[in-house]
Amino acid sequence: MTVISSYIIPVIFLTVLIASMVKKKNAYNAFIDGSRSAIDLIVGAFPYLITIMLAVEVFRRSGAAGVVADFISPAMRIFGIPKELAELMLIRPLSGAGALGVLENIYATYGADTYIGRSASVVYGSSETVFYISTIYFSQTNIKKLGPAIPFALLSTFIGCVVGCFCLRFF
Amino acid sequence: MNKIWPIILIAGLTTLLFIQPSAALDAMVKGSHDAVALCIRLAALYALWMGFLSLLEKTGIAAKLAKVLKPLVRFLFPSASEDSNKFITMNMSANMLGLGNAATPMAIKAVKSMDDKSGRATINMIMLVVISSTSLQFLPSTVIGLRATHGSQNPADFMGAGIIATVVSTIVGVALVKIYAFFRKKREKKNAAKNAKLPLQRT
Repeated sequence: MTVISSYIIPVIFLTVLIASMVKKKNAYNAFIDGSRSAIDLIVGAFPYLITIMLAVEVFRRSGAAGVVADFISPAMRIFGIPKELAELMLIRPLSGAGALGVLENIYATYGADTYIGRSASVVYGSSETVFYISTIYFSQTNIKKLGPAIPFALLSTFIGCVVGCFCLRFF
Repeated sequence: MNKIWPIILIAGLTTLLFIQPSAALDAMVKGSHDAVALCIRLAALYALWMGFLSLLEKTGIAAKLAKVLKPLVRFLFPSASEDSNKFITMNMSANMLGLGNAATPMAIKAVKSMDDKSGRATINMIMLVVISSTSLQFLPSTVIGLRATHGSQNPADFMGAGIIATVVSTIVGVALVKIYAFFRKKREKKNAAKNAKLPLQRT
């Protein structure tokens, strides 16, 4: 799988470059035009990124995720989710690096091949930094009302993780 | 975000107040530093992928890809313009290949092209956020690598359950947005009818 996937990028680039030669398009100019707009995207995203990352770093450093996880762990047990997993699920949508720290902690404490270790792998591998996505996607617009975008994204990820962890018992 | 952001910060600051008040400023500065560092890294990556995206557009490959995936995109994003369609297709393809850094700039462009200047996220935008958040990751290499270093016998053995988890979350997410769209449209129709009936009160 890793062998195949390492071929994907160069093959895609080659295909597109050859296509541009065949169709006699100016590949060089096109690439420059595209990369120019990257600066606009970054300038637009910058205030959003700094605002969210500042809060997330405070949240991560304080260990508040652990405190909240303690608090909600009785409710989580109904779904068959241990306390450490609850902490991972809390921090995952906020910070990829923070979640990786919790994941490593779980592996070190419980072992990577235990049920908790494998559930943590499913949770980390099948979820995304939802807050980062939803902030940066809207950075080029004036949209302030996101509607239920974030709750829907979180809820569906959560349900997916619960089902995935449940399936682990049979694999 | 106006509700969530203060909650996150208040929760973090309150906890720090009890355990380590001196770390508060330090953490905020570090968060800002990280954001600047991330922006610089993203500037390079976005420039690369935006350049490539523009190549795809010029060669007409983007339009062709959009045509192939049209039935799927039409179902998920009804009434999206040709332009939005193209960006959405690119975003979904990049996500499926596990190229998160390529997917993001295309999603930003897609959202911008869908903006109706109402200040409110449209149903299609919500769908895009949900799909990107629950998107299929075929190769979570970070997790596999980390499990291997922690002495796992078979570091990739959670993949089956992982794929089930992403498929379930994607289906649930799409269903949620579709149900929401149904009610939102109904409400908007009702409001429109009400406004038409009472033209005097509108002023």
